[in-house]
Amino acid sequence: SHIAQPGGPHPVKTRESRHRRRPSSPALHRPAAMAPAKWLMHWHPNPGVTLNTQILSEACGCAESLGGTKDGRWKTSIIFYRPMTRDGAGGAQQNLPPDVPRELLGVALHERPGLYFSILRNQRLVLQADAAFSQVMEKLQSFKARVNLNFEGFQYQLGDFCLRIGKCVPNNTETLRGIMMEVEYYPLSSIEKSRAIMVDFFDIWQETLAKKSLPGRFIHVESNFAEYGLSDHYSFQHTAVQYATCLQQLMAAVRA
Amino acid sequence: LTFFFLWVCTMQHVEALEVLLQGLSGVPKERVRVHELCLKSVPMLGAVPSEVRLLCDLAQPTPSWTIRHVGGAMRGAGAEQISILVRTIVESKASSNVLRYFYGIGYKLDHEILKVGFAFRFQRGAQFTVTVTSANKMPKLHATDEAVQVTPGIQLVEITAPAAANNYNDVVSAVTSFCEYLAPLLHLSKPGNSTGIVPTAGAAAASLMSSGGAKTL
Repeated sequence: SHIAQPGGPHPVKTRESRHRRRPSSPALHRPAAMAPAKWLMHWHPNPGVTLNTQILSEACGCAESLGGTKDGRWKTSIIFYRPMTRDGAGGAQQNLPPDVPRELLGVALHERPGLYFSILRNQRLVLQADAAFSQVMEKLQSFKARVNLNFEGFQYQLGDFCLRIGKCVPNNTETLRGIMMEVEYYPLSSIEKSRAIMVDFFDIWQETLAKKSLPGRFIHVESNFAEYGLSDHYSFQHTAVQYATCLQQLMAAVRA
Repeated sequence: LTFFFLWVCTMQHVEALEVLLQGLSGVPKERVRVHELCLKSVPMLGAVPSEVRLLCDLAQPTPSWTIRHVGGAMRGAGAEQISILVRTIVESKASSNVLRYFYGIGYKLDHEILKVGFAFRFQRGAQFTVTVTSANKMPKLHATDEAVQVTPGIQLVEITAPAAANNYNDVVSAVTSFCEYLAPLLHLSKPGNSTGIVPTAGAAAASLMSSGGAKTL
């Protein structure tokens, strides 16, 4: 069936199976948009230390000292949507059925401006759509975009790697909400196969950065791709999920 | 992007219409088999109730999904002057989990149909897509293989052409003049203005079929 029924990868099509509830499973017929393997890391400041842009400059300096060539800027955005209710601007959310999510994420990736991703965290679902999707949401008026966070900075080519070091700032402000980086390894798309080389790179990176004695460190938090129905082949959907994970980490670090 | 979306119900002379469109477009027809799911927002969600359509293209080896939002009919002085109904459409391609996504954000299935027929895509002053389909309903949820025609003998003709603010008027004229070529077989008009049936359609159809489309009407 072209309707991806919840269930195993090869659901048995019986009269009963059409309606029986099952745990979620990998989605079928995913558009094959393979991309090079990528890790996202966020800056975790030491307790009590506030973020500042000096960390950003030091990290960029490290990239250059490792032989990286700066080759431009990048920007990825995350948009928070909140549900709207009939009786007000989303205020009376207790009137909404409990299964309507209180938050949706939209993700616009720098590497694919024509695409738009939307994540339902509570359901571990990542939708891939066109950039026009945000217009569809505007027309529907069921969810409204409330906060727009930009991840932006410089990118560096380093042999088979690409590093993007960036700050997290709400749109149209300069308030620093976080610091993070992307590490992309061009030759491989398999997450498992690229793991060893990513770990090696990360070790070198940490050693180089440690010489600066900065009050914190970069951390890579694994996203549970399988829960989102994603395979070992890296894709833009994986990146969207990593941004959601990264964001959660940054928010937690700010609150701590 | 604004899309023209206008329709008329035509009946009977589907083969003749196909011959006519083949002649006008100069392109081969494409098979159409689209599963259209119409979803509505749950009560209390949204500033206003909303509706969204999910279209699954079943004509290709791998099904592909499109999200379509159809806006209200264009109104005002400009709308009165043109003889066709114009609505805005916003569309986006989507991954195959799009139905689960909309269920997950508070939409429920209102109805679903299977549209089966053919389409012609061509350039003629505007980028036209003319689709001629029968609407089929499913006896069980999502059972596209078991769909049956809702109104046997009656086909739906849909003509869409993308337009932006800066070429809107040009596209309107292109669509209006194209509709005149279809006049022998069917009337494209606003609902409530006239019927879709043309008195001489039968004769026109017979003429088209006998000449195999070589003759121009």
